[in-house]
Amino acid sequence: MGQASPAENAEHFPRLKAFAPGIYPRSEALVQATRDLDRGRTTQEAVDEQAERDLAELVSVQQQAGLDLLADGMLRWQDLFRPLLEASDGLETGALTRFLDTNTFYRAPHATTATPKLARPLGDRDVAPLPGPRLVTLPSPFALAHGTGVQPVTIAEGVLKPAIEALEADLVVLSEPFLARDETSSPADLEEPLSKLTGGPKLALQLTFCDARESLEQGLADLPVDAIGIDFYLTHVSDVPKGFDKLLLAGVVDARSSTVEDSRELAAFADRLRTERDIEQIALVPNGDLQFVSEKIARQKLQQLGAAKTATVEAAA
Amino acid sequence: MKLLTHEIGSLAKPPWLVKTNAGRPLDESDIEHAARWGEKVGVEGHEELVEKLQGGGADKDELGRWASRYALRLLESAGLEVVFDGEQQRSEMYAWAVDHSDGFAPRGTVRSFDNKYYSKSAVVSEPSLREPYHNDELAFLQSVANHDLKIPVTGAYTLAVWSYDEHYGPQTGRIGAGHGRSEELTARRRFANDLARNVIRPNIESLIDLGAKWIQIDEPGASTEADELDIFVESFNESVEGLDCFFSTHLCFSDYDLFFPAIEQMHGCKQFCVGFANYDTRELGTSGSDRPGYEVISKFRDLPYEPILGLGVLDIHTDFVEPPELVRDRILYAVDVFGDPERIHVCPDCGLRTRSWEVAYEKLRNMVEGTKQAEAALTTAGAAT
Repeated sequence: MGQASPAENAEHFPRLKAFAPGIYPRSEALVQATRDLDRGRTTQEAVDEQAERDLAELVSVQQQAGLDLLADGMLRWQDLFRPLLEASDGLETGALTRFLDTNTFYRAPHATTATPKLARPLGDRDVAPLPGPRLVTLPSPFALAHGTGVQPVTIAEGVLKPAIEALEADLVVLSEPFLARDETSSPADLEEPLSKLTGGPKLALQLTFCDARESLEQGLADLPVDAIGIDFYLTHVSDVPKGFDKLLLAGVVDARSSTVEDSRELAAFADRLRTERDIEQIALVPNGDLQFVSEKIARQKLQQLGAAKTATVEAAA
Repeated sequence: MKLLTHEIGSLAKPPWLVKTNAGRPLDESDIEHAARWGEKVGVEGHEELVEKLQGGGADKDELGRWASRYALRLLESAGLEVVFDGEQQRSEMYAWAVDHSDGFAPRGTVRSFDNKYYSKSAVVSEPSLREPYHNDELAFLQSVANHDLKIPVTGAYTLAVWSYDEHYGPQTGRIGAGHGRSEELTARRRFANDLARNVIRPNIESLIDLGAKWIQIDEPGASTEADELDIFVESFNESVEGLDCFFSTHLCFSDYDLFFPAIEQMHGCKQFCVGFANYDTRELGTSGSDRPGYEVISKFRDLPYEPILGLGVLDIHTDFVEPPELVRDRILYAVDVFGDPERIHVCPDCGLRTRSWEVAYEKLRNMVEGTKQAEAALTTAGAAT
């Protein structure tokens, strides 16, 4: 692959970004605090104080890494769905269910009515205030409806739309782990639900931990969102349509691997997206929740993510 | 008519052991716990432990052995016929095995669910057994158990799939390469089979030499990857083939349909102990519609080598204490499906380590009582025919 000149980079990389949607791992101290709380050995106040320390540390790591949008890491979320289930009428936690092919389990959403409604907006405990431009991660309508028997459009209108309307965010990332693995579904199933969520903050649909080839062939890029997220550990770079004209959330950090990426490799891949696929708007992101590695490793991965972006932008300048 | 009852593996550690292991001071409630449970389940000489705890002079290993005595007696006094010590002397089913093997490096803590976490390591070179890591435990338990013993051993596939791979698969050049599954499968197969050959099998051989009669290969991770079930089966066979012992395997919290037909090749497995209660209703009844959590059991019945089914009848994720009548009906349904009570054992869905001893004890007592009720019902039905 030929090296782009700084001038070419300056022309083509004005909007390379980096950030980290999804659930971030808790520190060893917070893990211990929550364990102790479950066993009656500490107080909720002590856990809250440690959670605040974790949040402050996470914000600091993101700022030092130069990430463009801050995330709160969803440190109080037990899984991708829980606070929304607790805030909704007609949705509750169901059976403990394996999350994809990981050794992490979640309480699958269970519907008690055909038309669940958000009863109260997500509060500061669920979406923490942050000192700067921010993103918020929520489940996509398809993911939240998965297995409940409720239509994604009903979930979008009744639960996600009011939740998003109550948020102050520069970007809402809708995390979608199931769609591409479901042979009976296609991106068309998300068109109407996503259209119900437009008009507020910018929206991204991120397909986590999956090969997005078929979804891309079936029109994923045409969905009514501002950005699309792709896992590039399972998706071949050539599967992304040339000239992809939305913001591409390029999943270049493997959230399920303990190996810490090399920022030079990440930067080189961003360059390939530009030169081989003619993509102008790129954000480097993890390919899913970083909670599948320890906090120590996640922190190193964020640093590499930021270093890749900074190196590329500085080279362009 | 007799239906064998047994435990699955883990049991919560008593607070006096947890605190000692963590280097935290004991308080009065910990000592009271030792006194009360020692009395309740009949631990011989428990007054000696209470004195040691009061005096602050017991070390971790000594307390671990005391905890083993307590757990054995808890299970025995609940009425279980085949017991273990709830893994009191092990750190955790994954960490214990990895910590006693070479080829791994710790990589921190990862969530299992909610506020439950486990330590996860990466394989960094071909794994090998540093030394047999259940021998001391078994030798001690053989010296104190009053009931028959079953030893749980974490299986090769679960150890593989719960570890990060920094050795077998490609570590660079992966981004955007669209690596096919075949590459990952090849790496996992090599890893699991190396674990089976180098770690699990020599460990098992050592236990058999010590006199182990029943070894349970724990494989809670077996269905993590639907297209790797043949690797799970291959590594199980690699671990036990040709060895003289009663081998069972424990599966839990999975879509059990996925295991078929792969496990048709697990000829060395004499019993599958499987969690079903987590998926079942709490209503009484012995028909198929009453027992949705047990729908899949006919597939275990139809396996060509006719294994026994260890029927999980206790949901280990809730403090709800199953009434004996609910346990009874779950058993009666299973016996009806199998048509042969000899092929049904009774057990919890999984280890009870997330429950308090109070809850675990009540659940197990009711399990035993429910089993007796089922035996009586089957005897009566048999007499009537």
